[in-house]
Amino acid sequence: MTRPARVARHRQAAVVGIHALPFSKNIGMTERRAGGLAILGALADAGLAVRDVDAMYRFVWENTTEMEMARILGIENLRAFGEVDYGGGAGAPTVAHAALAIENSLADVVVTWRARNRSSGGRPWVSQMHAVGQDQFERPYHIVRPVDGMALHTRFWIEKYGWTPEDLGRVAVTQREHARRNPAALMRKPMTMDDYLSSRLIADPLRLFDCCLETDAAIGMVLTTAERARDLDVTPAYVTGFGMGSGPQMTAMTFYYGEALGVTPSRYVAPELWSNTGLGPKDIDVVQFYDAFTPQIPLGFEEYGFCAEGEGPAFLRSSACPLYNTSGGGLSEAYVHGFNLLVEGVRQVRGTSTTQAANVRHALVTSGNVVPTGAIVFSKEPW
Amino acid sequence: MKADPSLGFPIPVVDQDTQPFWDGCERGELRIQRCGACAAWLWQPRPICSSCQTPDPVWTRVTGDGVVASWTVLRPPTLPAFASMVPFVVLLVTLDEGVRLLGYLVDGAGQVCQTDGSAEGVRTGRRVRLRFHEQAGVPLPCWTLA
Repeated sequence: MTRPARVARHRQAAVVGIHALPFSKNIGMTERRAGGLAILGALADAGLAVRDVDAMYRFVWENTTEMEMARILGIENLRAFGEVDYGGGAGAPTVAHAALAIENSLADVVVTWRARNRSSGGRPWVSQMHAVGQDQFERPYHIVRPVDGMALHTRFWIEKYGWTPEDLGRVAVTQREHARRNPAALMRKPMTMDDYLSSRLIADPLRLFDCCLETDAAIGMVLTTAERARDLDVTPAYVTGFGMGSGPQMTAMTFYYGEALGVTPSRYVAPELWSNTGLGPKDIDVVQFYDAFTPQIPLGFEEYGFCAEGEGPAFLRSSACPLYNTSGGGLSEAYVHGFNLLVEGVRQVRGTSTTQAANVRHALVTSGNVVPTGAIVFSKEPW
Repeated sequence: MKADPSLGFPIPVVDQDTQPFWDGCERGELRIQRCGACAAWLWQPRPICSSCQTPDPVWTRVTGDGVVASWTVLRPPTLPAFASMVPFVVLLVTLDEGVRLLGYLVDGAGQVCQTDGSAEGVRTGRRVRLRFHEQAGVPLPCWTLA
């Protein structure tokens, strides 16, 4: 099947504003206030105003609807709006929807954001006692925490690919090193491999330091047309392209029921992404892989074709491995359903990361690989 | 099924598509859907065959025999109702029919084993047999090592 080249599209989108409130264990305000402040901060970063905004997209799991946020901020009219589902899979697809609205002239200035009091607000799984749909065959056995669902996949990958504990520990230690250079990161204490290996098991084979943080956070992002971006006093991060995918028999987190155990939705996203962008892994200078859990990093390099299946841990040790999760990511900076990874991808294009890759032309950001998901490429130059 | 939500365990919300499964569990039977047209085994419950799109796959009793496809040992922090059970093993079992289900590792009498699985020698590929374990009034399919 041949696809129309995206370069034939008449308008390109660019990220021109990003802003994060300080990450914390208790942000001390509602998600709607934090989200509103994050959006205002992102607009200020772009040099734009609320009156410029004409579209909003959000995560389904964002508790403040785009209509409520538009009312709070006083937006005159949303010419386009929508939500993307599936938790940590929603980040790149939400930004992709914003870019699509711009590319197709539905809107000129699009706001998206993620505000979540995931620390002070408590663990969502604690109160989900009525198991509906797929959950009725999982939750009664305490497959309720994200780590529970992930552990069963991880056992499969460890046995299939021969991963060692140190293979996963390398991810945790590396991202902690990145976080130590990032003043915004919540976890900045040094972490050694011994620290990782001696952290307690949560759901075997996954340990505490395989897991992301639990964070109160609010991050806003503003996109506009490439043409308008050039008139603003910012370095645009051009949206070169994106892809989405679910794979077969997808139940999110616990997709054990299809024929091929352990094959993630990201394997379906990757060909869409590379086709859509006209790029390949060799064109990517820095990556932010969704990292609720350490296994998602070696798998990410495999899924997106940086190395062959099963070679992820070896690739992580090789000089060919690009810088990844440069803010510290979900493991050591903050866990915001991957929205911090998206703004870090923008920072890499701007050249303002605290673990900056050299000469970044294209930055890849992915969303959760074990849920319906997507990925996006931000670039220094327009199409 | 007289499920008791007051005990703090997650309770299945049964609907028309899943009622025959839970009815089977009440009788000590594991029922899986099989398409009457293309004979595909289907899990989880659904109103239409995902292989050939024929409506109303047929609920069919199976033995529950299978092998361990993956497993985990659950440890704190858990929901409060599970706190006294940890550590315990949850198995992902591939039935001989090819579909995969979750369930506790239980002993021959259907009681949940308080274990990290090492004493029992749990590993992928081990054959398992079906047992039912009642939790908060819900008869849950579970597995014991064969």
